[in-house]
Amino acid sequence: MQSPFNGVWSVALTAAVMLAAGTAAYAHHGWSWTQDGFFELRGKITAIYIGNPHATLDVDAEGEAWRVEMAPPSRTIAAGFTEEVAKVGDEVTAIGNRSLDEQEKRMKAVRVIVGGKTYDVYPDRVPPA
Amino acid sequence: MDEFLAGIEQLAFVRGLKASFVAYPIVNALHIMSIGALLTSVMLMDFRIIGAFRSLPRAAFVALLRRTALGAFAGALVTGALLFSVRARGYAAMPIFLAKMTLILLAGVNFLVFMRRARGGDEPAGGAVTILAVLSLVLWTSVLFAGRFIGFLN
Repeated sequence: MQSPFNGVWSVALTAAVMLAAGTAAYAHHGWSWTQDGFFELRGKITAIYIGNPHATLDVDAEGEAWRVEMAPPSRTIAAGFTEEVAKVGDEVTAIGNRSLDEQEKRMKAVRVIVGGKTYDVYPDRVPPA
Repeated sequence: MDEFLAGIEQLAFVRGLKASFVAYPIVNALHIMSIGALLTSVMLMDFRIIGAFRSLPRAAFVALLRRTALGAFAGALVTGALLFSVRARGYAAMPIFLAKMTLILLAGVNFLVFMRRARGGDEPAGGAVTILAVLSLVLWTSVLFAGRFIGFLN
């Protein structure tokens, strides 16, 4: 006879796996992996990617190679930040939240300033003026 | 190689996919759907070969699941290639991506070895076939995990 607990176990296991997967996805796409306070990074752009799954800038800041994550491309482009407004070698200031792990040279930008122009890729999260 | 990958990134439909609001998430969802179907069919097939669900006729059950797995793999291959295309050079430079491709290759070799052994009909479970089924379970699960980590290590 089959134990009625088999069904319960398989549901519990499925739920645990889904929760683990969901938590991991949240850590990447949301803000839970970043510090609360604002962080500012200045440097030179070494690579620009405006596309899916999310836009990124690679920035050389005093010899350190940083990865600046931005919004998904639709949102980044809506903010006016396209591949035409910035190029490799440009000076950039990125304002946002850096990784909780300070060894990791990675941040998520809410505002990007290039060529004297400000692009708010997450307008609802920018620091108060 | 770098030029070839850069060429892929420049294809008109790839550029469209790269900036799209709707198409990319749909391709992404179809990739997940294919992987779900692939892993499920592979696991059920391997468990049956190892000796579970003995009430189900082995040959018919395995044949059905093999067809499902091959179809799902084709879907995963097409959608995966599209996801890869938008940032081909970036993904190709990632060790975790290369690890995933190697694991898929190994799983493919494992499948071919299994098919060679299974030729000649309905051999009973046990011995080498069981080892191949366990290997298949380990490899495909590893492919899944490696794939998921691509999104977190780039």
